[in-house]
Amino acid sequence: MLFGPNLQRSYKYMSFASKMPSLRMDQIDLKCKNGCDYYGNPQWQGYCSKCHREQMTRQRRAEKASSNPSATLPKPEPKKPERGVKQVSHSSFSKFEEKRLRQSETSKKANLLKFSVFKKSSTEEHEHSEKRAHEFKIPAMVNEGMKRDFRTRFPALPAHVDRDSRAFVHSFIMDVIKCANVMTVDELSERVQRQYQRFMKHMDTSQHFVGVDSDTKELLMDFVEKHAMTYLHELPSVVFSPNGTDDERADRAMSERIQQLSWVGERHLECKLDRNQHACRQLVYKAISELLGMDSAASPGGKLARVRRCCRHVLALCGAPASADDLLPALIFTVLKANPPRLVSNINFVTRFCNAQRLMTGEGGYYFTNLCCAVSFIENLTAESLNMDKKEFDCYMSMPASIGGSAWAAALSLCGATREAEEQREAALRVLQDAREVQARAQALHTDALAFQEQIAKKVEDVLAKTPLEIKPRREIPRLRRSKTADASPLIDLEPIPTHNPPRSLATDTSEPPPPLLNFDVVSADNPQISRTIVENQVPTEEKDSIEDQIHETDSGEICSKTCEPPVAAQPTEPKLNILGFEVIEKPSTSVPPRNLEQTFELKQASSLELLTPSPLGFTPFDSRSIDELMTPDEFGSDSLAPGLSNINYDIDLSDLSGDNSVAEDAPKEAKDPFSPDGLKTTFDPFAPQTSAVAYKEVLDKFDEFTLTDTKPNQSFDPFDVIHRSDPFSPVLTVNMEHKPNDPFSPEQREASSILDDSDSPTSACLLPSPLQPQTSNKP
Amino acid sequence: MTSGPYNYSYIFKYIIIGDMGVGKSCLLHQFTDKKFMADCPHTIGVEFGTRIIEVAGQKIKLQIWDTAGQERFRAVTRSYYRGAAGALMVYDITRRSTYNHLSSWLTDTRNLTNPSTVIFLIGNKSDLDGQRDVTYEEAKQFADENGLMFVEASAKTGQNVEEAFLETAKKIYQSIQDGRLDLNAAESGVQHKPASPGRPLAAPPASRDNCTC
Repeated sequence: MLFGPNLQRSYKYMSFASKMPSLRMDQIDLKCKNGCDYYGNPQWQGYCSKCHREQMTRQRRAEKASSNPSATLPKPEPKKPERGVKQVSHSSFSKFEEKRLRQSETSKKANLLKFSVFKKSSTEEHEHSEKRAHEFKIPAMVNEGMKRDFRTRFPALPAHVDRDSRAFVHSFIMDVIKCANVMTVDELSERVQRQYQRFMKHMDTSQHFVGVDSDTKELLMDFVEKHAMTYLHELPSVVFSPNGTDDERADRAMSERIQQLSWVGERHLECKLDRNQHACRQLVYKAISELLGMDSAASPGGKLARVRRCCRHVLALCGAPASADDLLPALIFTVLKANPPRLVSNINFVTRFCNAQRLMTGEGGYYFTNLCCAVSFIENLTAESLNMDKKEFDCYMSMPASIGGSAWAAALSLCGATREAEEQREAALRVLQDAREVQARAQALHTDALAFQEQIAKKVEDVLAKTPLEIKPRREIPRLRRSKTADASPLIDLEPIPTHNPPRSLATDTSEPPPPLLNFDVVSADNPQISRTIVENQVPTEEKDSIEDQIHETDSGEICSKTCEPPVAAQPTEPKLNILGFEVIEKPSTSVPPRNLEQTFELKQASSLELLTPSPLGFTPFDSRSIDELMTPDEFGSDSLAPGLSNINYDIDLSDLSGDNSVAEDAPKEAKDPFSPDGLKTTFDPFAPQTSAVAYKEVLDKFDEFTLTDTKPNQSFDPFDVIHRSDPFSPVLTVNMEHKPNDPFSPEQREASSILDDSDSPTSACLLPSPLQPQTSNKP
Repeated sequence: MTSGPYNYSYIFKYIIIGDMGVGKSCLLHQFTDKKFMADCPHTIGVEFGTRIIEVAGQKIKLQIWDTAGQERFRAVTRSYYRGAAGALMVYDITRRSTYNHLSSWLTDTRNLTNPSTVIFLIGNKSDLDGQRDVTYEEAKQFADENGLMFVEASAKTGQNVEEAFLETAKKIYQSIQDGRLDLNAAESGVQHKPASPGRPLAAPPASRDNCTC
């Protein structure tokens, strides 16, 4: 915003522009009166087709039931019955409307002056507005706005207060519009004042307002005034610079007068203003801004509020001991510098239509009175009132308006510029701060991300540390190796395996020369049930039978071995095995045999698989073979192996592997393999060549411990399933492996597998040879 | 319901008139803020020039308008007078000229206010007795001749300030009681605020609402 001549000019233009609505058709005027967004048509009384039809039906209904609602407060509706009568003269109205439209299109600014005259002189205009008043309907938006405003201002008040207030505003508006054309402005002002009093009385007497205290009533009064007047203010020539007054002309005269007096400075008015002081300039600038804002406020209350704010700035301008003696000159100065648009119209509007009691008392009233004084002072300003020479005064007055007062105008425009700059600076600062905030947040995010990264890395390390890679391939390969190196039949493998509790047996062996019964007791107490259950659960019934047959056989065999035990046990070279064998031999009397059988089966199976799979081939198909295939015994059996054998094998294999895998350590190892192929190799390699008997034994011991700990095969299924996803143990693989040409170990493998297959047969391989073979295997 | 300290049943509007520099504003501030203006920097606050007093058990809000006293504004300050229930006419006892202007101020006041407006003459700056230019007797005589109440006061010391405002209020209240002042006229300068909202004028339901049972 710029001040001085520019500003004045722009505001003058604005004042013209804002007067235009009386001439120009706004978009709003063309639209349906009902406030729906369609365009209205003069032939339909300014409604759109839909609203007009509704209107007509409502009208007809109202005519039928001609009983008027008898409310204490007239509602906007009661007007309806009259509408039919008004329609008779409707055509003339529309004609006029058209005429007006045409005029407004052709005539621009130049016609403005004429129009105000025309408005006054034309009887047709008078008629029109009369008609218009009757056909008038307050847009729904007004009501809605009131509702909203009421809710925000008086949330505590009951709904009927809201209804009453709104009803009153409606009746108020209708009344004013009706009277506007038949009354002079003063009469209308009187009427409006009476309306205010009426509402005051209504509030005092109505039971709806019983709980409302007097301060709230004042606020309600303001509320009513605000909304009624805001709406009426928008209507051209009804309450704001109304017809029959000189307000518009006075506005122009005043504006010109102020421009002429632009040379009047602080020294003429004897006020203590210093335009060189920044604070002073700022205050003047603010006061002027508020004063200019008065025109944009619609209600008298709003205008008063602007004036009040303006005068507060002016008071601050006057310095600490503020008195009316200082206030008035400073205010006059402010008005002169501001040259507010439509000043006279605004003042008259407030004087006439503001609630008189408010105007007479209160701060707003006081300041407004001061403003009125200032304006009338400017109007009647003479050389005497400025305490200056008449000649000088005339000289000043005769010079072109644009010359005078340039100093203050410059100061103020400077003020405006600095203010703008300050605003810009503030905005820039805000942006800067925002940027800083963003930056800080980005920093925080960065550190967070780093911390997170470290955390994750640490966790990964921890997990890696917890789960060392080495152990993994241990499971089968060593055995395979061993079987190879031992150059013995796979049964050799089986023999160490029965030492599924080798430490214990050893311990017993060393501590006390084994009374076989004792050993047997321990072992039998441990396992028989489990082995039983395993057999029962997993082995198909047919197979069971066969197994049992075998058991019987083994029984006999064991018995046989039992007989020849003592010498075996006495042998120092292979104490464990002997003991084991001893145990086994003892068992047949009780339930041990099945257990033994079971164990041997398991072990054998495990060994068989190990022999089959873990060979170098095992790594190649690591990817694909899912255990699911393994898990379904039917498919498996039917596909690859002879049903009887395969089933047994399968079952045993499951339990064994599951036992193997169920150990906590194993799972991560297995899982880790795919991640580190290197690890696989390394782990694989060292085992293969080294397989010294001791190392191997350790491994085996561990392994057996696992089987021991894993007492429940059912539970072990799941881990098994997961872990062997990637394992090459599927029997199908074994079949494949045999055909693989690349495999360096293939011949041996084949041998082994074939041997295993043999050993798988429970009758011959498992039971009988097992006690025998360990000796052979251990001997080397 | 009306027991709160800020509830009041009447609003009286006062104006303070007199030549420039007689201490009108100082009197006002002495009365409303109990402070002498020169002592502390002061800007007019929200509760502008108001104070609630009590007369005959009735709480009355006084609203006091300061006016500009310069001669050149005399012609335009008439709107101040509108609706004033009391007018405090002030002169400076140390300056004879301010006393001499009283007659014109009085004329204005009589012309521009309603007949029941109470006019109170105050000789300000009584603390500067050594520089006195206008004697008490002379002013007293002037007041008596014109039917004014009169007191010499000091805005600086606060002497007689309260009394001047209170006496005026009492007189106004009395004229209300006498019926000389029409409360319904907008120009009376007095607003009556009904103490209890929803008074008996309303239908029986209202009284039922007030019933505590």
